[in-house]
Amino acid sequence: MRDIFSEFYNKVLGFFRQTEEEDKTKDVACNRLRVVLMQDRTNLNPQLLERMRGEIVDLLSKYVEMDREALDLNFEQEGEQIALMLSIPVVRAKEEAEIEATLKAEDEKKAALEAIDKEDSEAEAETDEVQEEEESEDSDATDVADEEKSEDGATEEPKTTEEIKKPKLKKFEKSE
Amino acid sequence: MSGRVIVITSGKGGVGKTTSNANIGTALANAGNKVVMIDTDLGLRNLDLLLGLENRIVYTIVDVVEERCKLKQALVKDKKNPNLCLLAAAQTRDKSAVTQEQLVDICNKLKKDFDFILVDCPAGIEQGFQNAVAGASEAIVVTTPEMSAVRDADRIIGLLEAKEEIKSYKLLLNRVRPNLIKSKDMMSIDDVVDILSCELIGIIPEDTGIITSTNKGEPIVNDDKSPAGQAYQNVARRIMGEEVEFMNLEEPQDVVSKVKKFFKGLMGREK
Repeated sequence: MRDIFSEFYNKVLGFFRQTEEEDKTKDVACNRLRVVLMQDRTNLNPQLLERMRGEIVDLLSKYVEMDREALDLNFEQEGEQIALMLSIPVVRAKEEAEIEATLKAEDEKKAALEAIDKEDSEAEAETDEVQEEEESEDSDATDVADEEKSEDGATEEPKTTEEIKKPKLKKFEKSE
Repeated sequence: MSGRVIVITSGKGGVGKTTSNANIGTALANAGNKVVMIDTDLGLRNLDLLLGLENRIVYTIVDVVEERCKLKQALVKDKKNPNLCLLAAAQTRDKSAVTQEQLVDICNKLKKDFDFILVDCPAGIEQGFQNAVAGASEAIVVTTPEMSAVRDADRIIGLLEAKEEIKSYKLLLNRVRPNLIKSKDMMSIDDVVDILSCELIGIIPEDTGIITSTNKGEPIVNDDKSPAGQAYQNVARRIMGEEVEFMNLEEPQDVVSKVKKFFKGLMGREK
């Protein structure tokens, strides 16, 4: 009996209460949809977005001094276009000398790695030649092409982590 | 005469593609156009049921494609309107029984004799969808104001954008419940249009008359008094190029109905 009365009381109050405190579910739905559609459309899940953000911050830090935490990376929809909006709070400009120094160090690093790679590929080519001579009865042109391909990308035999890293760097340089 | 080939698709199943197809086709035919509706949901055909023509199917699209009959022999005339025809799907085969090229061929042949060719698309994005879209130059994307439907509609819009043959696509928002929109429990029309950023061709309110009209096999568009019927009429008019204002879907709120609702709520019987 008491329950019915208290329910009645609450309903009467609810009828007169104008403001709703809790989030109406349609707003929750809209927000969830916008996020999930952005991910669906761009194939960028939160982890990938975070990684992309980190890489962008690293890249830009070479040229400007910025507040790394405050970098804002958002997708925005303008009509039919989805735009990636980047907001970079710049703390101060870097001295030209500072920028040059960072870039020079990077170039030197790249050159050094390139030299090592060149040595490696020459060494591997030599060992391939030796293998070819040994399997001369069975090998033909396609086998050689396959070996060269596997050396570039896929890891068919167990390699050390260093060797696995190098092929990736090689690809990056070739694309430049 | 070169007819317009319009595919009615959605991605999500059960949002009202076939119902919309039957009603829009009937409305266009009532307005004097020569209309043919193609059911491409091989194995799960339903367009025949909605039109009340399920006992009149002799030849299907698969018979045409496998050359057991001529295209004209497979066209079933509507019970009431001779301007309206149905090319039924086969119930005993599946989506692999027809290829995209064959659908394109059929659509091109029908374009010569009909003003409108409405292609009913099955749910999904696999071969059924690819077939249905193959011969079309326009699309109507049907969705409801619910998360899964909107997400799938977005995917479909993405796929349609990538197809050069589809020159335009419009949104048909189905099963809209104005009271839930008012109480902010359902996404509003503007919300859906904004999220999908697609032009609207029609808003169909939720209408229990759909159930009874399907039971009878008579498209609701023939009932002048039903809100959904009127809405479908408007869609047909817009397709024909007329500018029609969107219906005000809100039910009139007078004092008596408000008081009734209050007491219904008290007794725990919601909505």
